[in-house]
Amino acid sequence: MDVLLRIRRSNPASNEAPRWDEFVADLEPADRVLDALRYVKWYLDGTLTFRSSCAQGICGSDGMRINGRNRLACKTLLRDVRQPITIEPMYGLQVIKDLVVDMKPFFGQYRSILPYLVNSDPAPEKERLQSQAQREIFDDSTKCILCACCTTSCPSYWANGAYVGPMAIVQAHRFLFDSRDQATERRLAIMSQPDGVWRCRTIFNCTEACPRGIEITRRIDEVRRALSFGMPRVVKDR
Amino acid sequence: MAAVTSPQAGPALRRGNWGTLSYLFMRGSGVLLAFLVIIHFVIQHVINDVYTLDLNFVAQRWSNPGWRVYDAFMLTLALAHGLNGSRIVANDYILHPAWNRAVNLAILAAGLLWIVVGGTAIIGGVRFM
Repeated sequence: MDVLLRIRRSNPASNEAPRWDEFVADLEPADRVLDALRYVKWYLDGTLTFRSSCAQGICGSDGMRINGRNRLACKTLLRDVRQPITIEPMYGLQVIKDLVVDMKPFFGQYRSILPYLVNSDPAPEKERLQSQAQREIFDDSTKCILCACCTTSCPSYWANGAYVGPMAIVQAHRFLFDSRDQATERRLAIMSQPDGVWRCRTIFNCTEACPRGIEITRRIDEVRRALSFGMPRVVKDR
Repeated sequence: MAAVTSPQAGPALRRGNWGTLSYLFMRGSGVLLAFLVIIHFVIQHVINDVYTLDLNFVAQRWSNPGWRVYDAFMLTLALAHGLNGSRIVANDYILHPAWNRAVNLAILAAGLLWIVVGGTAIIGGVRFM
């Protein structure tokens, strides 16, 4: 079938003004938006620039704005989106070219929350044990693939890119609520900065945008509760 | 609790800092205000006809010190809640340092002014006419 695409083209490094390009691609309904982008690049306009890697929804490389909503191009079927399919780069991060945005601030915010287990106890012979209940409490936030769909859908982040963003709070949650981690106070201090968890306005765009189905706003609220009322006992009892 | 420094640190980072307090205050004051304001509205506009509201009405209400305390709570909580919210919104959008400072000072000044004026009225009272 013929698929009509409207793609936002821009090249800040050149003097060209940003523009909308239209393409018609011949694809199947069960093909994905990524297949349409590849069709354009391979057969119609080789200068179209976008990121992709695994093409199966796990690497998070091809996050972009499709018909006004942040999605992964490799997970969005053509039959599930209205034509013309409008494709733009994600908001809130600087555009490098076409659909490619500068992810450096995003990963900087990721690094700022200490995204690694901190445990200074001597390593046990086998694994560090935790109960199923303890594992369950942070299971949701382990699913994050760092695609940036949530952070670039957040109006608070659009207003001020210094906000640490939903992804960073979810990643902080993953370690905060991990009973094996020992840097709780330090992590909570980082989260309670003015640009930390208090900038969230509970808008819910992040939860809607997440391609992994993480209940981001709920996790952010759990971090706020931990700051306000203390960590839940199931995590504290190691 | 260890204070943590980071490149972005302004005040020392602690778990229970102004951000936490502000957040909890907005929630607590919001709930209280919901009751205070609804009861106030019912008294002023439902039980009484709004056209009968004059200084005598106020004087009569305020002859009972309980109502003065009630109004004092409503005044301070409403101002604090509303102006703290304005401060938060201003910090979201006004990123220029000098303008941000000016707006925050204006909000603080307005809050103090209205609390003083309102407080003077509540404490001083009104005379029957």
